[in-house]
Amino acid sequence: MIEVKNISKTYGKKDNVFKALTDISFSIPDGASVAILGKSGSGKSTLMHAMSGLDRPETGEIIIDGKNILTLKQKEVDKFRSSKMSFIFQSFFVQANESCYDNVSLPLEIANLSARTRRKKIEAALEAVELIDKMKSRARELSGGQKQRLAVARAIVNSPKILFADEPTGNLDSVTGEVVENLLFDYNKKNGVTLIIVTHDADLAKRCDIQINIKDGNIESIKRNK
Amino acid sequence: MKIRDITIRAGRSLKQAKARTLLTSFAIGVGAFTITLSLAAGVGGRAYTDQIVSANTNVNELSVTKAQPTKQKGPQKYSSSTSNISNPLFSAEPLTESDIAVIQKVDNVVSVSPNYNPQIKYITRAGQDKYVASISTFSKSVTLKYAAGSTSGDLSDNQIILTEQYVTALGFADNQDVIGKTVEIVADKLSAPILNPETKTFTYMVVAVSSKSGLAFRAQSSLLVSNSSAKNLYDYINFGTRGYGKFIVAAVQVNGEDKAQSVKDELKAKGYDAQTAADVLGVINTFINVLQGILLGFGALAILTSVFGIINTQYISVLERTQQIGLMKALGMSRRDVGRLFKLEAAWIGFLGGAIGSGLAVISGTIANPLISKALDLGDISLIVFTPINLIIVVIGLIVVSIMSGILPARKAAKLDPIEALRTE
Repeated sequence: MIEVKNISKTYGKKDNVFKALTDISFSIPDGASVAILGKSGSGKSTLMHAMSGLDRPETGEIIIDGKNILTLKQKEVDKFRSSKMSFIFQSFFVQANESCYDNVSLPLEIANLSARTRRKKIEAALEAVELIDKMKSRARELSGGQKQRLAVARAIVNSPKILFADEPTGNLDSVTGEVVENLLFDYNKKNGVTLIIVTHDADLAKRCDIQINIKDGNIESIKRNK
Repeated sequence: MKIRDITIRAGRSLKQAKARTLLTSFAIGVGAFTITLSLAAGVGGRAYTDQIVSANTNVNELSVTKAQPTKQKGPQKYSSSTSNISNPLFSAEPLTESDIAVIQKVDNVVSVSPNYNPQIKYITRAGQDKYVASISTFSKSVTLKYAAGSTSGDLSDNQIILTEQYVTALGFADNQDVIGKTVEIVADKLSAPILNPETKTFTYMVVAVSSKSGLAFRAQSSLLVSNSSAKNLYDYINFGTRGYGKFIVAAVQVNGEDKAQSVKDELKAKGYDAQTAADVLGVINTFINVLQGILLGFGALAILTSVFGIINTQYISVLERTQQIGLMKALGMSRRDVGRLFKLEAAWIGFLGGAIGSGLAVISGTIANPLISKALDLGDISLIVFTPINLIIVVIGLIVVSIMSGILPARKAAKLDPIEALRTE
C-alpha cells in the first residue's frame, strides 16, 4: 500500500516560483499497475521522484508499508530504495562498457549481496528477459529493445516491491515497445509487484489497473480500468 | 556495498579510460622512480661507507689529535712553545712525546702509536730503476686484499707489503715471483749538512702484494711496514730536525669497543680531539643523508605535481559519468559508497604509478649497478640496494597520497543530485 498525502513541490525562489505539484493525494494498493499519465511538464516525473524518495517535496507524506519515507534519513531512504524499489528509464541507462552480467549485478552489489548469491539471481533475471545468451556481451552491442530488456532484468533482479518505469517505451518502436510492456505487466501479475508507469502514452496507460491523469501539477482524474 | 565490489568496479572503470589512467599514473611514476632510486642509493651508500669504515678502521682504535684552537680571530700570536707543523693545506698544533706519555696514562688505553709517515727518497732493487714511494704503518685492523702472499697477523721488522704497480716496475715477472725477494729503500738524513749528505739503505723482504680493493682507501698506493720499522725509518730521517718527535695524529688502542667513548671524553678533558670509528662513519653518513635528502625532495616535488594531475583526471571522470553516478544513487547506493568508488579509483592510479615507477627504478638500478661499480672501480660492491620494505613503503605511500587527492572529486560525485544526473536530453 502506497499512500500519497497532500504532496506539494515548488521550484525556484521568490519571483520565479514554479509549482510542480499542488496538494496531490491518492493511494495505490499492493500489486496494482498504475499509470501516471500527463504531458511533458505536467509534473508526472516530479511525482515519481517524490514517491521513490529521490526528491523531497516541501509538504505532505508518502507512506509506504506504514512508513513515511519523507521523514527517513538519507541513509535509510537509500537502503529502502535498494531493497524495495527499482527503476526503468526512457533512455535505459545501461552501462555500455560493461557486460550484461555486470549491469544486472549492480543493484545486488549495492544491496550488499555476496558474489555467490548474486550469480543465481542474475542468471534468473537474464533468463526472464531472454538475454541469457548475451550474458557476457557488452551492453553497447545490444539493440535498443535488448538494452531496455537488460534494464528490466536489472530492475527485477533484486525482487523489488515497487517497480517505477519512466516512459519505458519512449525510445522504442511499437513492436519492441510491446515486448517490453508485456514483460513488465507479466512480472506485475505473476509476482504481485506494484508497477508504476510514468507516461504520456494513453494506450499504455489503458493497460494499467489505475490511471492517474496529471495536469499542471494537479490531479485531473483517477480512473480504474476494468 | 562491499569494499571488494567497489574496488573491482573502480578498476573496471579505469580500464575503460586506459590512456588517461596510464598517463596520470606515469606522472606519479616519475616521483616513485626518483624516490625509490634515492632510497636505494641511500641504503647502498650507507652500507658501502659502513664497509669502508669497518675495513679501514678498528672499533678499538681512536685517532687522536691535539685540540686545535677554535674561534680564532686573526693570526695566532707567537710564543716559544708554539711549534706548528704547517704546510699550504693545513696547519695544526702537533702531538709531542710528552703528549703521547699523557695519553698513555689514560685508563683503558692499551697503546699509543704516532703516525710516523717517513718521507723516504726512493725504492729500488739491484739492477732496476728508482721509484718514488710512500710508506705507511701496517695495522691488523685494516682489511687488505692480497694479490699474492699473506701476513700472519702482524708484520715483523724488515718485512714489507708492496702494491701491484711496483711489482712490474721493479722488474719482477709476476705477483707470485716477488714473494720472499728483497727490495731496498733509500732514505736521506734530513739534519745532515747540505754539502755532506748522509743516506742509508734499508733492506726489506716482500711478504705480500696488496691489490686494489673497492673498500680500502688507505694503503692503495702506500707500501706497508711494521710500526717499529716505520719508527726506525722516521728516526733516521727526522732525528735532529725541528719537527722530530712531533706528530699530527696518533692511533690510540683502547681496551674494548665500549671503552672508546669514555676514553674519548677523558682525552677531550685533557685537551685532545679524538675520533672513533663511529665518528668517522657518522661524518660520511651525514654527507650521504644530505645527498639523499635532495633527491627525495625532487621526488616529492614530482609527486606534488602529479597530485594535481589526479585531481584533474578524477574531476573529468566524475563529469563524464554523471549519468552512471545518478543511476547508482537511484538504485540506492549511499553517498559514502559513491565517494569510495572514486577514492578507490584514485587509489588504483596511485598503485599503478607506484608499481610502474618503482618497477622501472629496480630495473634501471639493476642495470646501472655493475656499470657504476665498474666506473668507480668498486669491485663487486653495489651502490644501489633495493629493499622490499622500501618498495612497499613507496607504493603504499603513493596509494595514500592518491586517495587524498581523490577526496575532492569523490565529494563532488557523492553530492551529485540523482534527479539532475538522470535528466535526459
